[in-house]
Amino acid sequence: MATANPRHCAGKSISSRHTDEEAAQSDGGSDGGSTASSFSSSDSSDDLEPEWLDDIQKNGELFYLELSEGEEEAALAQQVNQGVSTNHVRFSENEAEIITEQNKKQRCGSRAKGEPTLKKLARILRRKRRPSQRRGGKDGCKDSSSPPASILKNQQGQRQGVTVQQQQLKEVCVYLNPKRLGGSSTPLCDGGGLLEALLGVVHRPAWSRGQEDPAVLTREERLTVHGLIPNSPAIKCGQILIGDVLVAVDDVDVTSENIERVLSCIPGPTQVRLTLETVAPLDRVSAGDASLIRRTKTSPPVSQLVRLLWGEDTAELQMSISHIPHIVMYLSLKLDSTSPQEEEEVLYQYPVSEASSQLKGVRGIFITLCDMLENVTGGRIISSSLLLGKHLVHVGYWKESNNLVVIGLPAERVPLLYLQTVVGDVVRTLKVMYGSLDSAFCKVDHAPRLDHFFCLFFQQLIQPSRLREGSSSAPPPDISGTLFLDGLPAVRWLTLPPEIKMEVDTVLSDFESSDFGEMSEDFFGLRRLYIILGSCLFYKSYLIANHLPKEDLLDVCLYCQHYCLLPLASEQRVGQLVIWREVFPQQRANGATPGYSQPEGRHFLLIVGLRHFMQCVLLEAGGCASPALGSPGPDCVYIDQVKATLLQLEVLEPGIEERLNAPPAPCLSCADWFLPAATARDRLDSLASSSPVFSKLAGAVKGSSSGSRARALFGEKSWRASPQRSLSDSGSEGQMDAGSGSSSSAAPGLSPHSTPDSARKLGGRRDSLGSGGSDGSGGSGGLFKIPRMKHPNPFYLGTLKKTLTERETEEMYNTMKLTSGAENTLFHYVLMETVQGIFIAPTHREVAQLSGSIHPQLIRNFHHCCLSIRAAFQQSLPARSRRAADRPQGGGWGLGPVKEHGVLFQCKPENWTDQKKPAPTMTYWVIGRMLLEPVPQEFYVCFHDSVPEVPVEMAFRLSFGLAL
Amino acid sequence: MMLQDGSTQLLCLTASSGVPLFTRGASKQLPFSVIGSLNGVHMFGGGQGVVLTCSETQGGGKVVWRVFQDSVMLIAVSGGGDGGVGSSKEEAHLQRLLENVWGCMVLVLGLDELVNVRNVERLKRELRSCFSLIDELLEDKQEGILGNLTHCADSLVPPNPALFQEAVDGFAQAADSEFGCLVVHGRIASATEKWWRLAPQEVVLLSALIRSLSASGSASCDYPIFLPHGSPTVAHRLLRFQLLPGADVCVLCGPTPSLHGAETGLVGRFWSPLVETLRECLAVGERCLPGSVSLRPDVLALLLINRETRRAVSCVRTSNYHYDGPLLSKARCWELLKLFYIFSTSRYFTQEEPLCVSTEENAQRGNTEDFPLGFSHQPQQCYLVTEECKSYGLQTPQHQLFLLILPSVPTFALRTLATQTLSDIVAATGF
Repeated sequence: MATANPRHCAGKSISSRHTDEEAAQSDGGSDGGSTASSFSSSDSSDDLEPEWLDDIQKNGELFYLELSEGEEEAALAQQVNQGVSTNHVRFSENEAEIITEQNKKQRCGSRAKGEPTLKKLARILRRKRRPSQRRGGKDGCKDSSSPPASILKNQQGQRQGVTVQQQQLKEVCVYLNPKRLGGSSTPLCDGGGLLEALLGVVHRPAWSRGQEDPAVLTREERLTVHGLIPNSPAIKCGQILIGDVLVAVDDVDVTSENIERVLSCIPGPTQVRLTLETVAPLDRVSAGDASLIRRTKTSPPVSQLVRLLWGEDTAELQMSISHIPHIVMYLSLKLDSTSPQEEEEVLYQYPVSEASSQLKGVRGIFITLCDMLENVTGGRIISSSLLLGKHLVHVGYWKESNNLVVIGLPAERVPLLYLQTVVGDVVRTLKVMYGSLDSAFCKVDHAPRLDHFFCLFFQQLIQPSRLREGSSSAPPPDISGTLFLDGLPAVRWLTLPPEIKMEVDTVLSDFESSDFGEMSEDFFGLRRLYIILGSCLFYKSYLIANHLPKEDLLDVCLYCQHYCLLPLASEQRVGQLVIWREVFPQQRANGATPGYSQPEGRHFLLIVGLRHFMQCVLLEAGGCASPALGSPGPDCVYIDQVKATLLQLEVLEPGIEERLNAPPAPCLSCADWFLPAATARDRLDSLASSSPVFSKLAGAVKGSSSGSRARALFGEKSWRASPQRSLSDSGSEGQMDAGSGSSSSAAPGLSPHSTPDSARKLGGRRDSLGSGGSDGSGGSGGLFKIPRMKHPNPFYLGTLKKTLTERETEEMYNTMKLTSGAENTLFHYVLMETVQGIFIAPTHREVAQLSGSIHPQLIRNFHHCCLSIRAAFQQSLPARSRRAADRPQGGGWGLGPVKEHGVLFQCKPENWTDQKKPAPTMTYWVIGRMLLEPVPQEFYVCFHDSVPEVPVEMAFRLSFGLAL
Repeated sequence: MMLQDGSTQLLCLTASSGVPLFTRGASKQLPFSVIGSLNGVHMFGGGQGVVLTCSETQGGGKVVWRVFQDSVMLIAVSGGGDGGVGSSKEEAHLQRLLENVWGCMVLVLGLDELVNVRNVERLKRELRSCFSLIDELLEDKQEGILGNLTHCADSLVPPNPALFQEAVDGFAQAADSEFGCLVVHGRIASATEKWWRLAPQEVVLLSALIRSLSASGSASCDYPIFLPHGSPTVAHRLLRFQLLPGADVCVLCGPTPSLHGAETGLVGRFWSPLVETLRECLAVGERCLPGSVSLRPDVLALLLINRETRRAVSCVRTSNYHYDGPLLSKARCWELLKLFYIFSTSRYFTQEEPLCVSTEENAQRGNTEDFPLGFSHQPQQCYLVTEECKSYGLQTPQHQLFLLILPSVPTFALRTLATQTLSDIVAATGF
């Protein structure tokens, strides 16, 4: 299993050699015939092209993101509930053989047959839109072929025009993926074109029908839907009816004349909004409103973040924050009077908006202060605060040689305390990506890419909610939390059971040894292209294995954070992600270690994501491997190897999921339980739910049951379960179908035991326990024989259930908690290990389980407070090597080194309506502790104030759980 | 580096024309080019609709700009210090400083003189009379005076407050005034009700003025003042009489009575019966609290603020504890107490000053440190464990208490200790 198909890869590695030239040659791209033929000659007969091949840019960089089909379906209307195959990597035939289910095999077969012809067309189409595709910002807008330009202009008039005709309009969102044109089983019939192939709408032109439609002009014919193609997006959405007239696509008017052109402009997989004229209203509700409501309800659009990553839409997003002053500038401090250009000192600037132009107008202040204050106070300038009308803006500086980076951010988003960390991180990210600030900002062709970079940066800071909207499962953004956690010089770690951890590490080590297949030097008898320096593996935004040195890990992680790759992977979003680019790891670039010099080489970062897994690999060319020339593009061999590794790791997914579903390892309490408003019953339930044994049992049952659901529903091909596993699945499936109605609607990863209502939770748990116990034979027996699952003997279950008194529950639950005293008072924690560069905190799911009205507030507050605590730690430390800054934080801290800092908060329930009684209050501590011995750690904890705690002890207790 | 570590320099210029009026603080004055540039960047920004409020440099150096009444520009430049203990000032501290300096100028010269500048040279000359007061604000010479920072009147709780209250009330009434106060060791021991109704900043500035006047050594004086908030354009007379060395009584009054008349007729009548009580009060000294209040031996220093009356008592204990770690000097204790106050108030406890700051000024101040507003729940208490000592801050609707505690006290006991101290003091003195 470990090796991919060598035959296939051999063909690949050759073809990838000349991909660049080809892409460059056929850039103009209208000559479909010759392109296709050139490709068919280079392609080995049955080999499938990797989908990302055409996205490689001239400098070899690649950013290819494809949503999984599951995600696309979610974006469609919800009535689609038949099994859908996840969009799997179709890069190796091995994969097809692994699939066990019959229908999948057939599907794959038919797909493979239909593919070669269709692929060519797809490629032509892609080639056409390629030039406009990856440009961000200004360029994208200027491009006449890109759809966004016309959105705003046409909208008003076109809408009104239709209402005059007294026609009913409806809007339907469909998800189209031109990249998978070949994937659909539809034969591409002549004449139908993209309308049929892509959308699945059959339209017979008037001349072919041989009749005249009175409402239709002779040349520009209205696009009446004459038929729908089975399995197409149009029919799946269920709202396009035969007889409707397609009026507009994304607010661009379409007729038979231009429809093909418009559709061919669709860049990559995206969601489009179709405006249709229909004869009868859909509902009794008035059409205008109904369509709007329907749109928001049934089909959440693909999130803005993904659109942004795809390089669409930046103009509109940017517009929505243009009134908030923010800017980034790269200013030259050298005055060169010979050059006649205007504004020569502004080497780079983003964005161009009214508020930011005001900031740009006063750049003289920044330059003067930067130059002068160093002489006056003896330190470089760090920040300035400005008042623009009502907006308070903090400006951060970063001076390097003769140039100055200035970043202005609204004060309500980034507190002054944390501004320096934010600026430092951006600068480091840029250095990792481009080597130095000069090379990042001064090259002209970097400008669009930097626009995109800073668009992402500002969007994440200023309107994170906007970016996330559309993805339903995402919690409301917590700006302080993002600032705090992203600002930590560490990556979020997920502790795994040792067996799984060992397997993961073994697989990664195997990969990193690169000693097999054609990655070994023996295969071709050539020097290998790259040497693998190390890799790290993320699962759903948690780091689960790391074989990179700390500084490299932080570099990689900064890049991932900046492009929001981690949250992306956690939400079942990624069908396939391939990123390839040259990077400049800071540790290696600086060459700080004396006595040993790093080999001079170039470094490349390869990130491959498949659904929830994401692996980041750092490669080195030069040194032991052959030196890299020019700007090499991604190498298929390496990408395929990473994919193979990820597929290999997918076996472990159930185990990791089980870990995620397990009750929180140090038990957590929900803040709402401590307010007197909560009834005694709730309290008991919550107690039970945080009892490790009790909920572990339940979690196991639920976990496996939801696993089986997920499998049945989504048929994930790669889930090659062990025999016992599948036995148990088949055994329990029926029972679960009948028993848990709620789980069928739940997302695959989300087990029903995370429902907010704790009373129902307990009930549900008893039920499933009972049925599990009473089933007695086959199914449930198998259920508990699953390897790697450690729960108590099933035979003990019955008695356990009966004799489980409250007292005993409490006793059991005392065993695994962090706080002292009778009750568990721990709300939240963050423990950072500075040496390894990792931190642990309760997982998102653990937090989500503790739903309540106050608890999310409490966590936001916790993070805000942590910003302050960490700033105190940082300020009080003298020059210490920091993640972003080599320079010390602004000293001037008179209080001396801070070891521990705590704040006590009081909260009241919101909307307390009872006039007679004062609102009940709850007080809790947020405490931060810095430990230097035995290993440098920072520990932040939040607990109810009923029991005085000694944070050091808590930190030690917790760090025992941090087995590495 | 033009500025010495930790020193603060104050620049004053006319806002419209940029003429330097005076500079104070720091032994070496900044070159005019620097002063001009500092003023220039702010002025340029103003023309573009951008108001520059603060800049910070590495090592804790800070520059704070502020324009008052569109007429006077004040700039405070504070040099950082690498590792220098307590060297740099927080921004909030510098903002306070500028407000107080402006308050001083109004107090001495009146608002008219400052807003309608007819003759710059004359203004420059007249401003010299503020220098002693401004220097006191800049240098914080006298230990244990925190009012400049907290804008709460430094007070002293006398052993028998009722006697003094009666005497002050009677004395003021006889002097045909509603504003009178008794100052012991530079702290207000007793004052009429109207005196407490003055804006907090005025009370603090008047205390500073009285301190500097009594330091001059004269037995009595008659000083014309303007109240920055109460009557910025109409002058009043401040009469000050020394009762005993370290104890002064003051009244704010109109044209009558004359200094001589009051000194001969009134002072003896009201205060000679109280001389012994005054001596007892002087004995309380810098502890500020009467002997009836017993503090725990672990408490190194204390600052207690009554949020309603805007009064504060503060004290640093000296060497009556047994502790084998390195002893903190008294000066260092004051320093730490100040820093901890600034730390907690700029991050957690919001300061409220409903009276003294107008809305316009509030906007201009720009509440640069709006960090506390980001909390969704109300911070109540906080503590800090550093190498030298442990600090504890506590806020109730009525009080704020800041404590420095010996490092030997276990951290989990701090809270009990703090609440206990607060309730002890409040029970004993009714503060």
